[in-house]
Amino acid sequence: MTGGLAAPAAALDAEILVIGSGAGGATTAALLAEAGRDVLVVEEGPWIDQGTVRPFSLDQMDRQYRSGGVTVALGLPSIAYTEGRCAGGGTEINSGLYFRPPVEVIERWRDRHRIRDLDPDEIGAIADEIERTLNVGLVPGKATPASEILRRGAATLRWRHSEIPRWMQYPPGGDAVTGARQSMTRTYLPRAFSAGARMVTDCRVDHLVLRDGVARGATVTFGDGSHGTIRCRHVFVCGGAIQTPALLQRSRIRGRIGRTLAVHPTVKLSARFADEVNVPDDVPVHQVKEFAPSLSFGGSASHSGLVALALLDQWPTFADAVTQWRRIAIYYAAITSEGRGWVRAVPGLRDPLVTYRLTGRDRQLLQSGLARLALLMLEAGAEEVYPSFRGAPVVRNRADLATMQDAFAVSKASVMTVHLCSSVPMGELGERSGADSFGRVHGTRNVYVNDASLLPDAPGVNPQATVMAFAVRNARRFIEESQ
Amino acid sequence: MEHRYAPMPPMRSVPSAPLVGPFAERLLALDLPDLPASRRDDAIGFTVRRIDGLPSVMHIGVLLIAAVFRCILIAPRSDGFVRFVARAPLPVVGEYVRLIRSLGYAYIWETWPDTRPTGAAA
Repeated sequence: MTGGLAAPAAALDAEILVIGSGAGGATTAALLAEAGRDVLVVEEGPWIDQGTVRPFSLDQMDRQYRSGGVTVALGLPSIAYTEGRCAGGGTEINSGLYFRPPVEVIERWRDRHRIRDLDPDEIGAIADEIERTLNVGLVPGKATPASEILRRGAATLRWRHSEIPRWMQYPPGGDAVTGARQSMTRTYLPRAFSAGARMVTDCRVDHLVLRDGVARGATVTFGDGSHGTIRCRHVFVCGGAIQTPALLQRSRIRGRIGRTLAVHPTVKLSARFADEVNVPDDVPVHQVKEFAPSLSFGGSASHSGLVALALLDQWPTFADAVTQWRRIAIYYAAITSEGRGWVRAVPGLRDPLVTYRLTGRDRQLLQSGLARLALLMLEAGAEEVYPSFRGAPVVRNRADLATMQDAFAVSKASVMTVHLCSSVPMGELGERSGADSFGRVHGTRNVYVNDASLLPDAPGVNPQATVMAFAVRNARRFIEESQ
Repeated sequence: MEHRYAPMPPMRSVPSAPLVGPFAERLLALDLPDLPASRRDDAIGFTVRRIDGLPSVMHIGVLLIAAVFRCILIAPRSDGFVRFVARAPLPVVGEYVRLIRSLGYAYIWETWPDTRPTGAAA
């Protein structure tokens, strides 16, 4: 049996409908199809071959991000976030950095959220499989100059740091910037197709059709504006931490849905060095974990447009630096937030309302994080540091750090995140869990969530590997129980 | 069963250009006085397209503010208003100004990386 991309049709049938094709959806589809199940994947965005769009460019944002990358969780301050909206979801657009699911996090989730049969060893074994499939490894040769800055600064300060492996495939003799990302369109989706799974792109699920807690199918809207229906016996919702709870709410599923969104908020700065350090199409692979898990430092995409954006908050002072963008790279301080957000579907509107509230502790961490990051840059040899907040001074030495800290307030900063999770938390805490220990949504008999929404809180590291490991675990349990 | 959630967004039918374009043009002209007019037009076109694609709630909020701004810009001597909102860190309204600037600057410096801080072509 051979699957693959299928044409849209007014009426479609499948045994299992998988909604979304990112880290959770693609993995789920591959496992279920390989178990011999009839799987249909629907994806709201288009199929775009990996490597045909310039990474981190406005063109990529137009084609592969939801709303062109302009999405915000409202709050004081509001937090900008991004979501993939294409075949492969966020795996097509993210940094490709890989973190194994941390054992202590898995144990904490198991104990605090009463997740049944959650075995760190099993998750570890699944992570091994994922690492082989995604070709996880270190970059060949030397990292980029922007990455070396993080390593050098941390080494000088004797802060814990490391090179983070990536899921990339490098050509023979290739270097740090020649890797081809092993995203879902290169790995799990082709696997699913080989096992017979079908996939319809440009297909948005408007709502699930439920009766007495049993999903009978879904109503959809295709890219050309036409509508259709899909009949199925089981549904896996894998649209990510924003779209998944919004779809469940639109489908009138109640319970702990969309009330506990968790993110890793970040603040940024730009740093100018004596030599050219800017690598427009790639991100640094080194990260500094001295204060992890509450606080981590890393590097961002830094092409010229993003440098201008990073300088924008204090443009009257920083504007001249934009002409030297080749000597500038952008870095971030990310925190593990204690705040929580809401995702609410709004009747009559296509997109949900997203809000997020930082706690006092979050604000303090962001402030100290930005100061420590600026120090790291100075120790790495930065000539000038430009923190991204309104009223920020140029930081040229340690004495300027105190001035910077005095001037900082989170409400003046550009806060953003790329890690969104926990909007349908799994576990056996009754009303405090949105889904059971294997992703089945409470109050339903055949609706499962299998994406970042399930993670009980933000894990403190890039969550993609954790999302995939849980997706494999839950899909396997579903196969066992439904045979 | 009838669902309350529209399958397609009602606000998508309201185009942003007439409301957002005039303010974006005045703001970019003020911020980047030497930016060639053709580049400014391109940047405004990009900004308007992005605003057309905003998530529903944001789109509604932006269009409401943009409509108020549009009315004010019709009045004589509205340059003072543009200068004021461009500099003052106003709540909510300031976010609209920041959005226009962010989109415009990101487009300008990604498309023409060696643009001078005044907007002049290198």
